[in-house]
Amino acid sequence: MNAGSAAESALGALDAKNRAWTARRLSVWAVVAAVLVFYVVCWRLAQVDPAKLATGLPKLGHWLAQSWPPKLDELPLFLQRIAETVAMAAIGTTVATLLAVPMAVLASRNITPLPALYYPARWFLNALRGIDSFVFALLFVAAVGLGPFAGVIGIALHTWGSAAKLFADHMENVTLGPLEAVETTGSGRLTAVAYALVPDVAPVMLSTTLFWWEFNVRASTVLGVVGAGGIGQELKNSMDLLDFPRLFTIIVLILIVVTALDQLSGWLRRKLV
Amino acid sequence: MNAPSAYAGMQMSVADHFSKDFESRPVRLEIEALSKGYAGRRAIDEVSFRVREGEFLAVLGPSGAGKTTLFRCITGLSTPDSGAVRLADFDMTHFRGRERRRIAVVFQQFNLVNRLSALENVLAGRLGYVPKWRGWLRRFKREDKLLALECLDRVGLLDKAEQRADTLSGGQQQRVAIARALAQRPDVILADEPVASLDPQISAGILDLLRGICHRDGVAVVCSLHQLHLAQSYADRIVGLVRGRLVVDMRADGFDTTMAERLYGNAELQGMIN
Repeated sequence: MNAGSAAESALGALDAKNRAWTARRLSVWAVVAAVLVFYVVCWRLAQVDPAKLATGLPKLGHWLAQSWPPKLDELPLFLQRIAETVAMAAIGTTVATLLAVPMAVLASRNITPLPALYYPARWFLNALRGIDSFVFALLFVAAVGLGPFAGVIGIALHTWGSAAKLFADHMENVTLGPLEAVETTGSGRLTAVAYALVPDVAPVMLSTTLFWWEFNVRASTVLGVVGAGGIGQELKNSMDLLDFPRLFTIIVLILIVVTALDQLSGWLRRKLV
Repeated sequence: MNAPSAYAGMQMSVADHFSKDFESRPVRLEIEALSKGYAGRRAIDEVSFRVREGEFLAVLGPSGAGKTTLFRCITGLSTPDSGAVRLADFDMTHFRGRERRRIAVVFQQFNLVNRLSALENVLAGRLGYVPKWRGWLRRFKREDKLLALECLDRVGLLDKAEQRADTLSGGQQQRVAIARALAQRPDVILADEPVASLDPQISAGILDLLRGICHRDGVAVVCSLHQLHLAQSYADRIVGLVRGRLVVDMRADGFDTTMAERLYGNAELQGMIN
């Protein structure tokens, strides 16, 4: 009798498990179907048309063939424009980093002196981060006129949000043990922060800044398209005139500069950490 | 101010001069009716005890008994709800500034600044003495550096002075932390579970070092431990905390299994002895 009921309940459990398994199998299929629908809709919205690519590619190949030899007579202008782009990124990133430090302190739950401002600070940073430097530059070209300064502001605003959020996340993960230990020596709060926290956080901040600078050089090559200065302007001009040798020369120059900066910033960052 | 030296005036062994009769020695630290609550619950409740010159006091108690809260109130990292923390001549309870240098702290997790050298970590012990700008720039006078190096020598790590703290082993890091405490030239060293993260052999070395500082230099040591046998073999006196209250306060040589049972209850005690 006992054995019978034990076996019965075991069977009951097995059946229940089987039913649950069937339900799970159904939900898996539902997810697969949803993903498929998602991609079909996206494909339509993005107006993907492989036929167009097939006719377009030979055109591209034709342009590429035309773009040899490179046009070097305008090299001084190109170099000046590229220097402009690098400078825009450097100023924009530096200003953004300086502004990011106090904002990051406000946006770190564990060290903010004003906890009431924690969420407003986070929202503000998210808003800055959510708007691309390109969009900011578009707005500021209208406000401050054509030229690299609008680009600087665009880069600074977007990078401010991104860098401050990164710094804040890092500060929230810092262990407070060493800070407390230094505080117990009678150093005072500010000295303890300078002695225990800064050596830990500063190299990360510097390395992040270098990364953003490099990233912004790459990103700001397109800022010229909206009239915000730099090499992007020449890129757009060449495209408008269908001057492919010029276009090709500029693209190669951008690649060289970006690669060199990438190596330099990578080397510096390895030195820091 | 005299030229600071880790051993200044302490070379004469206190233990040679004083009997084990601690009652006749001056009080270095007095805790009086210290209470602190969190969310309506009292973490420590009217805790009182004294530590005298050259005395090694072990604080025992099961986890959650309030040891950490007690230590945080004594070090000033938390503010007690009531009660007092007194040094021989000075009420420390509400002081947060330079006076804090008189109570040095050794932590379970060492709490060194990872990216600084062993020497710079020991120099942190001088921050309660030097002008603030020296701390911000990490620029110290020759006499402070000399004292810090003497402290490192004392813990046997003079040759690691320039090494980054995070490249040292756990035992070495704790020695640097003790050197940092020594550089404060404190009245009292508070050690919060200093060996809980170390293996037994290294633990013995650390506790020997603390007891040496205590008995030879006359610094009072308050040390929380969770191993009974360590408390019995290193401490002069043992106090026990249970649910935030002080239930035992006696000489270590009189501490036996009956007392331990009062602290931990039978089941836990069996686990600790085995």
